[in-house]
Amino acid sequence: MSLLDALQNECYQVEGIAGPDEERRRLLDLGVTPGEELAVVQSVPFGDPLVVMIRGMRLALRKREASWISVR
Amino acid sequence: MHSLEVAPTASTTEAEQVLNPPFETHSQLSQLPTVCLTGAPNAGKTALMNALTGGSFHTANYPGVTVTLSRGKSKTEFGPQVLLVDLPGVHSTSAVSPEEELSCRVIEGRHDSVKPEVLIVAVDATQLERHLRFASFVARQHKPMVIALTMMDLLPRAQQTVNVRKLENAVGVPVVPVDGRTGWGAPDLMRALHRESEVGGSRQTILANLPDEPVSAYKTIRELLAASGALKKNNQFLLARDSFTARIDRVVLDRYFGFPIFFAILVGLFSSIFWVARPFMDLISWLFSQTGHLLIAVLPAGALSRFLAEGVVGGVGAVAVFFPQIIILFFLMTLLEDSGYLSRGAALVDRPLAYLGLHGRSFVPMLSGFACAIPAVLAARTIPSKRERLLTIWILPLMSCSARLPVYALLLGALLPGAAWKAGIALGVIYVSSLLIGALVAGLISRLILRKRTASMLAMEMPVYRKPLVRPTLRITWTRSSAYLKRAGTPIIVISSCLWLLSNFGLGSHQAASAEGTRAPLVAVSDLDHSFAAGLGQTIEPALHPMGVDWRVGVGLISAFAAREVFVSTMAIVFHVSEAADGKQSGLLENMRTATFLGTSKRIFTTSSTIGLIVFFFFSLQCLSTVSVVRSETGSWKLAGLQLLFYTGLGYILSSGVVTGLRFLGVD
Repeated sequence: MSLLDALQNECYQVEGIAGPDEERRRLLDLGVTPGEELAVVQSVPFGDPLVVMIRGMRLALRKREASWISVR
Repeated sequence: MHSLEVAPTASTTEAEQVLNPPFETHSQLSQLPTVCLTGAPNAGKTALMNALTGGSFHTANYPGVTVTLSRGKSKTEFGPQVLLVDLPGVHSTSAVSPEEELSCRVIEGRHDSVKPEVLIVAVDATQLERHLRFASFVARQHKPMVIALTMMDLLPRAQQTVNVRKLENAVGVPVVPVDGRTGWGAPDLMRALHRESEVGGSRQTILANLPDEPVSAYKTIRELLAASGALKKNNQFLLARDSFTARIDRVVLDRYFGFPIFFAILVGLFSSIFWVARPFMDLISWLFSQTGHLLIAVLPAGALSRFLAEGVVGGVGAVAVFFPQIIILFFLMTLLEDSGYLSRGAALVDRPLAYLGLHGRSFVPMLSGFACAIPAVLAARTIPSKRERLLTIWILPLMSCSARLPVYALLLGALLPGAAWKAGIALGVIYVSSLLIGALVAGLISRLILRKRTASMLAMEMPVYRKPLVRPTLRITWTRSSAYLKRAGTPIIVISSCLWLLSNFGLGSHQAASAEGTRAPLVAVSDLDHSFAAGLGQTIEPALHPMGVDWRVGVGLISAFAAREVFVSTMAIVFHVSEAADGKQSGLLENMRTATFLGTSKRIFTTSSTIGLIVFFFFSLQCLSTVSVVRSETGSWKLAGLQLLFYTGLGYILSSGVVTGLRFLGVD
């Protein structure tokens, strides 16, 4: 499923990353790699961006960026 | 007192030369070996720079670099001195902002003027995997390198332990734990640096052999850390929910309280910029006017002493008066940045700003723009995508900078005499409109002109909250403020000196004959009415008719290109306000009220023409320093020139339109 559908404060595993090459590469560089565990830890007013905890880092992702990340 | 005039093209070139001076101390400093400080953003590089140089580092424009780098000599007690250069933080070595690209070029040895012999990589101990991956990019260049392990004090909070010896063995590169904020570990780091520079970077390290491809690189690093026992950690998600940072985030990013808190912080910031700075600004302007009077009294009477007192001292004063505001702005911004709140603010406003084609990070430059456009343009560097960065820079001149404040105060005083509260409300409307119109311009341009969507990402790290330390914050504030003073001040002083000369000299043949029989010199000391500036003002007078003003106001408008607030002092000169009179502002208002077009009884400052002037100042880019900074930040005259023409043209057209429209409706 998409990271957008993830429940807050539940732990998921990254399955894959879609999106344009350049953006995909940047997400991978930031450590959002398949197999890595992540959790949505905070929502922001408007629900966009969302704050994800991954590799011990808080990462603010726009919905557009989060929609490229599939999790399970 | 300075009033003046100059052809814009000539002065911008001049300003440009002053802005990018030849690299004066380069030859002397370049004899020292260069050491570059690199790392991911938020790795604590700036604090480390502070510790290694003992706080004495300066920003410098390297030739061929649009990004300013800080550099400084290492403290003498750390052994042989080296030249430390702080490179911008790098998130990712692929898709990159100009700052990141510069860092990568220097690290890969592809830069012409910054050639490091040794590299220090700042690695956040609580974020080992990500930061070690960047360190592996550095290690692949086979230069001597040392890892500075920062944020050790945060390890207990992150419930992790790092074994430095085991980590060093695992990566094959010297690792030195260091706390830049207290200076702890700095001598060890410098010792390791000197040892490493003797060994050279030829040895094959484990770090250098890591794959470049992110997925396998991260996998290898994790295995390496686990196998060596260098890192022990607890479940990070449990921690994420209950940590200090998570608790603050729940409040400041709350659905209902998030925005009120954000606006409260902005209001606090603004009030300090305007009200706390006020007494200091008054003191500075009093000091400069006293210095001017003193010079006039002490020096022999003559044009040169007046030039020094009015042109030079007055020009310096015009810049210095904004210094308290700039210091407060930079201090509070640095505090917000170091505490970790700034990235939360950017996340909060990202959605509305993205709708306008801007970026969450655009809010910092826009905010700074209300103090001064120059630091604002510089602050736009942190915006990763070029399109969003240029669009942000494009709307910055609309933000109502504080140089406009004295002008608005004067014009509103003329428009709404005797009712301070009405002028206050009008000023509030002007400030809010400048933000709204900026948003409108950004929205229109991104919808109509830049329609092709290019890569744009937020993907922004939100660092943990930390208590900012006072001394490093003050140090950084000072570095940034003095860099601003140099950058903005030099052109303003040069331009206002030139304008002083133009308004105090004129063609000799136009002056009243001094003595019988002597031929008038070609150029002579002149009063303003017969000066070169007046000549220029009279030349452009036909263009000023639609705005409903005469050449004397035109001289003021042109002189405002040095700095907008110069308009006020020029008005005082052209409308012959006597210096001696107490309360010059009220004297000026009185003279403006009775001023008529020469030879007629038609008043100049009517309701319509005063509103027209406010509209003109609202839009017009009357600040050659901004033009020059935009040029150096974007690397070409194209955007800077287009911006100057667009806003000044828009100001002229709208102002003429407003005056004509009001007069058509019967408002004089």
